[in-house]
Formats: sequence, C-alpha cells, structure tokens
Amino acid sequence: MTTASLEAPRAKKNRSAQGGSKPKDPWGSPAVYFIALVVVALTVAPVAYIVLGGFRDNSQITVDPAGFPSPWRPETYAHILQSSSFWHQFLNSTIAALFTAVLVIALGLSASYVLARYKFRGRGLMFGLFAAGLMFPITVAITPLFILLNNLHLTNSLIGVILPQVAFGLPTTIIILVPFLQAIPEEIEEAAAVDGCSRLRFYFKMVLPLSLPGVLTTGILTFVASWNSYLLPLFVLSDTNSFTLPLGVQQFRGVHGSDTAAVLAFTSLSMIPALLFFTAFERRIVGGLQGAVKG
Amino acid sequence: MSFIPLQTKRAAFAVAAAGLLLTTAACGGSDNSSSNAAGGDKGGSGAVTMTLWTNSTTGPGVDFFKKAADDFHAQNPNVTIKVQSVQNEDYDGKIQTALQAGQGSAPDILFQRGGGKMLAMVQANQLSPITPSSDVTTNISAGVLSPFQVDGKTYGLPTSLTPEGIWYSKDVFKKAGITSTPTTIDELAADAKKLKAAGTPLAVGGKDGWPAAHWYYMFAIRDCSQDALNAAATSAKFDDPCFKQAGVDLGKFIATDPFEADAFNIAAQGAASATAGLLANHKVAGELMGAWEPGVVGDLTPNKKPLPDLGYFPFPSVPGGQGDQSAMMQGSDGYSCSAWAPKECGDFLNFIETADNQKAYAKAFGAIPANAAAQTDVTDSATKDALTAASNAKYSVLFLDTLFGQTIGGALNTAVVNFMSGHNNDPQSIVDAVNNASSKG
Amino acid sequence: MSDTPQAPSALESSLDGNTTVMGGTNSVSPMTAVGRAPRQRTSWRERFEITLLSGPAILVFLAFVIAPVVAAFYYGFYRWKGFGPPTDFIGLHNYKVILTDPEFHRAVLHNFEILALSLLIQGPLAILLALLLNRKMRGRSVIRVLVFVPWVVSEVIAGTGLGLMLPVNGAINALLTNMHIFGDVKIQWLGPHMALWTLMAILTWKYLGFAIILLMAGLQNIPEELYEAASIDGASYWQQQRRITLPLLGPTIRIWAFLSIIGALQLFDLPWIVWGEFNVDRDGISTMATYMAHYGPRTGLYGYGNAVAVVLFIISMIVAVLYQRLVLSRDVDGAVTDGRKKR
Repeated sequence: MTTASLEAPRAKKNRSAQGGSKPKDPWGSPAVYFIALVVVALTVAPVAYIVLGGFRDNSQITVDPAGFPSPWRPETYAHILQSSSFWHQFLNSTIAALFTAVLVIALGLSASYVLARYKFRGRGLMFGLFAAGLMFPITVAITPLFILLNNLHLTNSLIGVILPQVAFGLPTTIIILVPFLQAIPEEIEEAAAVDGCSRLRFYFKMVLPLSLPGVLTTGILTFVASWNSYLLPLFVLSDTNSFTLPLGVQQFRGVHGSDTAAVLAFTSLSMIPALLFFTAFERRIVGGLQGAVKG
Repeated sequence: MSFIPLQTKRAAFAVAAAGLLLTTAACGGSDNSSSNAAGGDKGGSGAVTMTLWTNSTTGPGVDFFKKAADDFHAQNPNVTIKVQSVQNEDYDGKIQTALQAGQGSAPDILFQRGGGKMLAMVQANQLSPITPSSDVTTNISAGVLSPFQVDGKTYGLPTSLTPEGIWYSKDVFKKAGITSTPTTIDELAADAKKLKAAGTPLAVGGKDGWPAAHWYYMFAIRDCSQDALNAAATSAKFDDPCFKQAGVDLGKFIATDPFEADAFNIAAQGAASATAGLLANHKVAGELMGAWEPGVVGDLTPNKKPLPDLGYFPFPSVPGGQGDQSAMMQGSDGYSCSAWAPKECGDFLNFIETADNQKAYAKAFGAIPANAAAQTDVTDSATKDALTAASNAKYSVLFLDTLFGQTIGGALNTAVVNFMSGHNNDPQSIVDAVNNASSKG
Repeated sequence: MSDTPQAPSALESSLDGNTTVMGGTNSVSPMTAVGRAPRQRTSWRERFEITLLSGPAILVFLAFVIAPVVAAFYYGFYRWKGFGPPTDFIGLHNYKVILTDPEFHRAVLHNFEILALSLLIQGPLAILLALLLNRKMRGRSVIRVLVFVPWVVSEVIAGTGLGLMLPVNGAINALLTNMHIFGDVKIQWLGPHMALWTLMAILTWKYLGFAIILLMAGLQNIPEELYEAASIDGASYWQQQRRITLPLLGPTIRIWAFLSIIGALQLFDLPWIVWGEFNVDRDGISTMATYMAHYGPRTGLYGYGNAVAVVLFIISMIVAVLYQRLVLSRDVDGAVTDGRKKR
C-alpha cells in the first residue's frame, strides 16, 4: 500500500471527462438513447403527474385521473407562492436542513478521523456502535425519542428536530468518510509531523480540505434527507410557526376532506429546492462516494 | 391472560356503557353539575396562556377557533389562547405522545371524541374535570353529554353531533331507476344491484378501515338488543350471539357485491379520487357516513359548492334483528382540558358552547351543533333529514371503535376489513378479534 | 484500489469463470486501511485528541439513538398504552405473542421476499444503467440528473402521487384505457395478485437511482488503462464489462446489497402510504415495520409496538452480521460488529 496516493482526488482529476465537461462527447448509438429515453420517461412520469396535478382542480382529478389540465389552473400554485406560511415553512426547512448538514459533517468528520487514523482500544467497538445505528430507523424509535426530547424541553423547536437527525445521520456519514480519510497517505501526515505540525493541526490544515469531496457528499445527502423528513418533525413540532414544509401540506388536509390539487401543488413546490441542490452537486456526490465503495 | 386489574376494566366499561345509551337529542336533560372546577396548578388572576389542539386544519375551522380565542380574550384580557392544528389522521398518535410527555408538551385544550378513548386519558390522570355552565346543561341533553362523563364528572364538552346514515345522490338513484329510498336491507341490496348495473355503485372507502367497519357497526346495532350492546360495553367482550349474527348478515350483504371495484384500496376521504370525491362527481351513488359528509362532498364538487342533489336516509332495518330498528349510531366531537390546564380552560369550553358560538361553529364546520338552541340554524336539507332521524331514534349508540377505545376498536376494525374484503371469510373472526384484543400488551 | 498488482489478479480470477456478482470471492483487496493506523500505543495526548474529536459525535449518538433503543427494550417488557408511565410489567409476554402471531410471520416473510426481489431486480438493472450512464455521450448529464429524481423526492410525496395513480380508478388504468391497452380490463395493481410486483416496481423506481450512483462511484475506481489494454487485445465492449468491470465492481455491489438489505428489512413508508395499514397484510406486502406501526401507536399498544421494534432491530442485526461474516467481511472491516482488524 505504500504506493497509494491521494486516491479520490486524483481519480477525479484523471476522469474529469466523467463530468461531461469536455464539449466533444460523441453521440451515442440510437439504441442507447432509446433505452435512456424509456428509463427517463418511467422515472419522471410520477413526478410529472404530481406537478401537473397541481395545475388541475379536484374535480378534474376525480373525473379524468389521467387527463392533462383542462383548463390549466395556475392559481393554485400562485396562491401558495403568495402565502406567507409557505415561505415561513420554507425558511424553517432550510434552517433545519442546513444546521443538520453542518453538524453532521462537523461531528461525523471528527469521529471518522479518529476511526480512520488513530489506533486505540475500543476503536472497533466505536465503529460497531455507529454501524448498529443503521439497524434502528427513526420510525421505530419515535416514541422513546419523543419522550426524551420532551424531558430535554426540545419539543416545538427546530433544535429538537436537528439534533436527532444529526444522530441518526452519523452512521452513514461515518461509513462514507472513514475510507476517505484512510486514503490520505501516511507520508503526508509524517511530513506534517516533521514540520512540527500536531495531529490536531494536521486535521484542520490538511484533512479538512483533502476530504472535501466526501464532506460535500454527506452534506448533500443529509440536507436532502432532512428536507424530506416527515415523521420526526410531525411529532416534535406542534406550533404552526415552527412547521417545516412536509408538515405544511397539512393545511390542505381537513378533518375529513382534502384539497388534493393544493396538496400536489404544494408538494411540487416543496421538492424543488432538494432537486436543485442535488442536481447542482450530483457529480460531486459520485466523486464523494468513490472512496466509500472502494475495495 | 389479562393483565389489567379486573376492577379497573369493569369500571372502565361501566362508564363506556353510560356513553353507549345516548338519549335522543330532543330531550334536554338537566345534569347535576359536578362540584369540581377545572383542576389547575397555574394561578388564577395573572396572565394565562393556553394552547388548543384542534383536528381542523382548513381555513374556516381554524378561523372559528381563532375568533373564539380572540372573543374570549376580549372578555378575559388576562387569557391568551394559541390555536394549533393537527391533521386528523395524525391526531391520535400525537395527542397520546404529548399527553404522555405531560407538562410543557400537552396542550391545555384538546380535541376529544369521548367514549373509551377519553376514558384511557382519564384513567391516566391526563384530563381535568370541568363544570358545565347552566347554559350547557339546559341546551345539551344528558345523553349527548354522557360520552364525556366518567363517574359523574365531566371531562369534556361536545361541540357537534354526527349521526350516521347513507348519503346519496338523488340524481344517480333516479337514473338507476330507483324511486324511493330503501327501508330494509334487502331493498338496499336490490337497489345496490341496480346502481352497480348503471355503472354507479354504492361506495365504501375501505382503505381507511373505519368506513368499512361502520357497516358492521350498523349491522350489530340492528341485530343486537340494547341490553346486548350494554353488556358488551361493560364486559368488553362480544358474548351475545347477535355479534356473530351481525357478521353473518353483513356477509350476506357483501355477497351481493354491492360496492365499487377495488373498494378496499380506495380511501373514503383525503384525496380527490376518494369515495367522497367520486360521490361529489356522480361517479358513485352514495356511501355510509357520519353527518360530516355534506361538507366533505361539497369541497370536492366541480364548483366547490354543496352537492345540490345530496340526500340522506337512515340505515335500513335488518329483518329478524333484535335491536330497535330506529336506533341511531352517532359520534360527537368535543373538547377537553388536560390535567395541566389552568382553570380558565373550563371557562373557555363553556364559552364555545353558547348558542351564538355554536351557530358559528356549525357554520364553520358544516356540522350539527350539540347545543339544541343552535340546531335551528341547520339549513342543509340532507343534514336536516339526518337530524330528524336522530331525533326519532329510540336510542343512540356511539361509534363502536370510539366506544371501545383504541385497542379493542382497532382490533375490531382490522377484523371487519379483513372479513369484508374476503381475507377471512369466517364471521366468528370478528367476535374473536374483540375477545382476544387484550392479548397484546 | 487502483494499484496495478490488484487488477490483473481480479481479472485472472474472473477469467477462471468466477464472475459471480454477489458473494464472489474474487475481488480486490479489503479495505485495508482500517487496520493501518500507524501509532502503536495510545499516549495521553492521543487519548485527549480522540476524546476531543469523537466525544461530541458519541455523545449525540448515545443520547438520541442509543438511549431510545434502550428505552424501547425497556418498554417492550410492559403492557403500556402510552398513557402514564409504564407500570404493568409482563416480562416476555409481548415477545411470545409476536413470535406466535401468524400475521407477524407473514410480515417477516414479505420482508425477505422484498429483500430477495430487490437484489435480483435492482442489481442487474442498476449495473446496466450505470454502465450506460458512464458512457461518454452527449446529453448524458441531463439523463443522469433525471434518473436520480425519484430518489431525491421524499417518500411522502412519492406515496401521495402513487396513491392517486394506482387504484383501479386511478391514473394508470385510465391511461391504459385511453390508449386501448388491455381493452376495458381494469387491473387491480394494488390487489393481492399484483401487489408484490407493484411494490417492487415502486421500490425499483424509487431506489434505483441510489444503486446507480453508488455503482457509478465504483466505476470511477476502475483504472482506464485496463480497458485500453483490453481493447488492444481485441476484447469487445461487452467482454470488457464482463471481465473487467463486473469483477472490479464487486466491493461496490456488495456494499450496495448491504444497504439494500437493511432498507428492505426496515421498509415502511411506501407500503404504508400507498396501500394503507388495513391492506398491507391482505395484499401480501406487510412488513415488520408496518406491523409495528399498526399494532403499536395506531392501536395504542405502545409496549407491544416497542417489543416489535426490538424484534425488528434484532432480526436486522442478525442478517447484517451474517452478511458481514459471509460476504462483506473483506470489504468493510468490522463495520457492523467486531473490531477485529485485518491487515
């Protein structure tokens, strides 16, 4: 392994073509495009159905489930975009997702660094403990978790959503980041030590920048997961002012009835940021996962 | 094996039994007002802030409570009430966890259905008793109040009544060649056949569970004598053979294939393609529901106005049934004060029961108000018919799942859905499900 | 691992005909670095650094993940309706009921059916699509983004849309009727005959993007030179994929399979939202988690629900440990259970 070099970053550079940045990619064969077209149609159709459904009214949806909007009713979307509660919930979702992502990275990267670069008794136990967290989804833990949050007076605040999300996000983060940090060649660390750089300083000066692809990946995955999170906020947040977007959709579901068109329009609008965010960083995610799936 | 001390259980269901036998809404009773005021640990004269949880999430419902809170604040400047909405389907789970967590998480004022569900909260000391005002005891009959009472103490006040029956489209019935509404179950089966042939069947929103279970409840109310129902409510067991008979009769009715295709994968509410939406657009003929139906259907019509040809008829009689064939099943929605609520909570509950507030409530929710003095304002013709049927009923029974509480009610609903959807063809399975419900801890 | 000694050996073993995708033993070296930590003893200073760096993560994790798990174990021994503190201790009664309930047995069976079908359907599909999306061709970036859309959309949103599309009177049947496919026959996509396959289609739609993204990351680890060399030797595209790509993707595939297995065992949202709690059992797609929710919070049996959660946790653990021992041990050293290090 002595020849190992900075695996992930190098590979990324070597294969920058992977990102399609070269203008002269050739055209593929028609068969390939055909397959791609079919796949894309299948993946996008249900989402398109939701988006288009927001432009119909309830009666249209009932009478002709597969129809196009006729007439188009953009007012449902307009109404939501003009409502202050939508933007308030948008802000709450953003705060929750950003803080969750930042904290997961801060805590996860430090812990991963320890797991990757230190040798100590209990290291295996620590790794096993975090990995066991994968076996216990938040769905299953919600009742005891809520009682705990209440005892800590964290209900009805975004902190009560953020902290458990960070905790439940740690296992994935650590599994992705540990191999990444292990790929940093020892020589660099040794050189740093010769320069009188302590391991802590090495961590901040070298590890942080070098692990950026992995950090970005886990950050984005956490952001998206938090943005979509439903069950935890549902239990923790009661006050409408603290609602995140997935809870906001409630206002269109009455005691017995439901304004399906508004639900569809609202969900369409609320998924846009996650989609944009993911799209913008999609290539980075591939690069960031590279370390995690390496043999 | 039973791990609940027998005594508690007995007491529990004796109380539930009191709720079972609602007298008709017409007889305004006078209740001995209990002496306990809303117990509260917070002080009296200082500034008080209360939170209110409603299962209403839509505009008019929330607005009603906000306005009521403002009006109450105007009369009692030291009291501020914060209104919070919880989606109906999430409500039970969320209120349970919040009450469990207690002070700080539990709302002061909470939506309440009464019956066994409320009883569980009372037994866990999560509710405080309130004193009904004289206005309440005069205008709300003892029978309507009783599901909210335990051991002579009142733990909540009903805001609306929801008598059950079949809500249907008059036009669709006419198109299928049906001229008069059915009065026996055989007539209903014959009509269902005609409706299905016309492409507009009767509907049941089986995906939601309870709309299907309501069919069994109605058969049980027709087949079982008042005494048998009382005994079941007391013992929490389906010992009388009439409960199996109700399953047999339901099975016979289901065998005529009366409902829409794929009925158990279609919701009753909550989506435009649910049965209420189908009824609103004349895609189905009608469905068995509580009196909230006109409002739900009205929201889903093409012009979002009440369905003009919506009609109502009470559940038909079942020949040979031992129950009074006029008996009504009805629920009531209401509000309670949690154990941590200040004493002003009871004042607020009495406040929203005044005739004026009840009229506003009825308007906002499209509901039948519990206060008889406000019932004059019901204008919707189908709702009026339901109110009449409820007044003519010899006795009323609470929705069985509410009556029995969450655990037994849940087991009952699951068993009925499995039976109706052909997952289990033995009517005895419904009886067994209730009798074995307490095996799970 | 792109160091050259590795690749030929993997290539060789694949030439031996050992091209199994799952559980193949022919793959590249294990994640060696785990055991590669340099310092031999732990000095006080290192201990301080370890505590400083990992302390916060461990604290948060213990407080918000481990503590609720322990609480679930505790509540599982009680008959408890969620009202008031649990007082009615009933020992292992809940576990007896769970393990003898045929409905729970069916749920476990469904979990394992879904697990097997997920691997069999999504694995090959994901490999093919990852290869396709890895080809240099115009429009690739657009296609890639679109393929990942379902994975980014939340389960609640997806479930809402699918719930409108799949009933007999829903959009899919209406579309088929409009296009005169199957005549007037309305297919019960959600009914007992079709449900499992409908669910598999939904899960594939929802999670294939994740498999693809992992595999594409894995593909980046395969050195270009190998393909160039194979091309010079006259190997066709498909020969190259079979002999180079598949074997070298082994570790990636095994990690994906691990995550997929965990996901299948814990599946909850989509059956719950699209089918509803009363239908999952009849339609043959109930899972341990839907069973837990139906008999836990929804019917007020909190003690019982927590006991189910514990069983679900233990079954996940057993499967994970077995998988790790039998398949994954060469990739993720000690990730799940033990701290035994390899070098």
